[in-house]
Amino acid sequence: MPKNAKKPQASPDLSVDIGPLKLKNPVLAASGVFGYGLELQGFCPPEALGAVITKGLSLTPWPGNPGPRIVESGFGLINAIGLENVGLDAFLENSLGPLKRAGAVVGANVLGRSPEDYVELTSRLAQSQVDFIELNVSCPNLRHPGGLSFGSDPKLLASITKDCVKAAGDKPIVTKLPPLVTDIVALAKIAEDNGATAVSLINSLPALSIDLDTRRANLAVGPGGLSGPPIKPLALRQVALCARALSIPVIGLGGIMDYRDALEFIVAGATAVQIGTGILVDPGLPIRLIGDVYHWLGENGLADLGQIRGSLKL
Amino acid sequence: MAKAKAVDNLGGGNHLLTLEVPGAPFSALGRFARLRAWPARGLGPGTLLDRPFSIHLTGPRELSFFIRQVGPATSLLASLSPGTPVRFIGPLGRGLDDLDPNFAAKSWYLVAGGAGLGPMPSIMAALGPRAKLFYGERSHKTQPDTGYLADLELYAPKAELVTATEDGSGYGQKGLVTVPLTECLKVQPRPIVACGPTPMLAALARLANQYSVPYFACVEARMACGLGVCLSCSLPKLDGTNFRVCREGPMVDGLAIDWDNVHT
Repeated sequence: MPKNAKKPQASPDLSVDIGPLKLKNPVLAASGVFGYGLELQGFCPPEALGAVITKGLSLTPWPGNPGPRIVESGFGLINAIGLENVGLDAFLENSLGPLKRAGAVVGANVLGRSPEDYVELTSRLAQSQVDFIELNVSCPNLRHPGGLSFGSDPKLLASITKDCVKAAGDKPIVTKLPPLVTDIVALAKIAEDNGATAVSLINSLPALSIDLDTRRANLAVGPGGLSGPPIKPLALRQVALCARALSIPVIGLGGIMDYRDALEFIVAGATAVQIGTGILVDPGLPIRLIGDVYHWLGENGLADLGQIRGSLKL
Repeated sequence: MAKAKAVDNLGGGNHLLTLEVPGAPFSALGRFARLRAWPARGLGPGTLLDRPFSIHLTGPRELSFFIRQVGPATSLLASLSPGTPVRFIGPLGRGLDDLDPNFAAKSWYLVAGGAGLGPMPSIMAALGPRAKLFYGERSHKTQPDTGYLADLELYAPKAELVTATEDGSGYGQKGLVTVPLTECLKVQPRPIVACGPTPMLAALARLANQYSVPYFACVEARMACGLGVCLSCSLPKLDGTNFRVCREGPMVDGLAIDWDNVHT
């Protein structure tokens, strides 16, 4: 407990606001590690989280990459799943209803091969029960013909965000930003200026793992996205920079493995956090983490997360 | 949560890890579990994720796993002291009984390549004399001691056993196990259940087609979650769709898989 701790707080308030969305706590399941929301119910009921974000959805089903699709590298994980998903229709028909009936707050992560795909996905989701839409314009496994992720191109980022905000009606748009860029703040501001309700960062980092004996990449398609504990310091820096520069909420993610990691993101200025690889390592992690954050706030005499948000001393 | 009960060194870099697991026995027959005995952040490089292992044998409050040391995670599991807590998530996936509810009434050829021996003992135990196991290794370097194979007979009395090494350096025959298997298929066709490297599983699909016998494959793939969400283990079927080894497998109809495009 810090030296200047106040008396223990009986029941801290974990709720956070992402624009018009009221979340019961700041812990979200990141896209790609929670399926379509129902698969991990036995470990982590989706309604217990601040929100769940779906596996990235495309207009039609995508088959993904050949295997191997994952490899551990150092202390992290590299994946090139290749955005395999059941497609928007199957998600709407099979998963969204049960998720909403369970009381979950649902974010649909969307991805496409063209800006038009993002807009069409968003307009269809605007008519559904999803609570918000996360634009995946930053997956290292998704490139537009120019070779960059959509989100690394300022003009495309601006137009996709703007058009999706329009198509979304009253549903909030969260733009998920690419981490490996020269100026993350500039990109985050583009998302803000074009009407995004929030930004989420960071996505996994473009990375490569090599088998020295065969001189081949360890993943079938070569590079993939690095996630897990090694990316947390980079994520914290990007989140801290964006949180200071933006007036919209920043949702932080990257290598969160316990409540202390999560709270560091809040101190860096994040409004909420997403757990990705940590759920693969331990599907019960988010539930434990929510409890741990609650206890930590109580022990430190803090009434809510607002008392530490952005409190990073520089 | 489970507890390590014993680790037996079987020779050839193979270990039998026995865990005390509340709720056991479970129906194994190809099903698997996620195991980890290290902290959430890992103990060193290459120990971030749990590892999936076929259930070897199951008994009252205990399960065993055939663990071949190939990297840091398997080395950690192979060196556990009795009493060490082990995270156990399982049993997971589908077993032979899911694919063929009457499997135990039939006679089978079981084919194991290398660490693909993992799931075979529970199947042998269910079949007894109706099992004939063909077990191949590349060389003597990875063969378990013969004492271990003798122990298997305790669980599967009168099961037949054919062993081989590709280079002839170990006990048993020289060459691929598919050779003696083919001789048996010629004389007496029986359904096949197999676990091992992809080239072996693909070759068995060709043999099963040739001799018109059913063929079930217990498939291996790298997994991050084992619970159906990450799609790391997604593999192609001949009908153009994918299946998840962790959920629709690991035991699958081996004749429905697009083996030419399986690279695990």
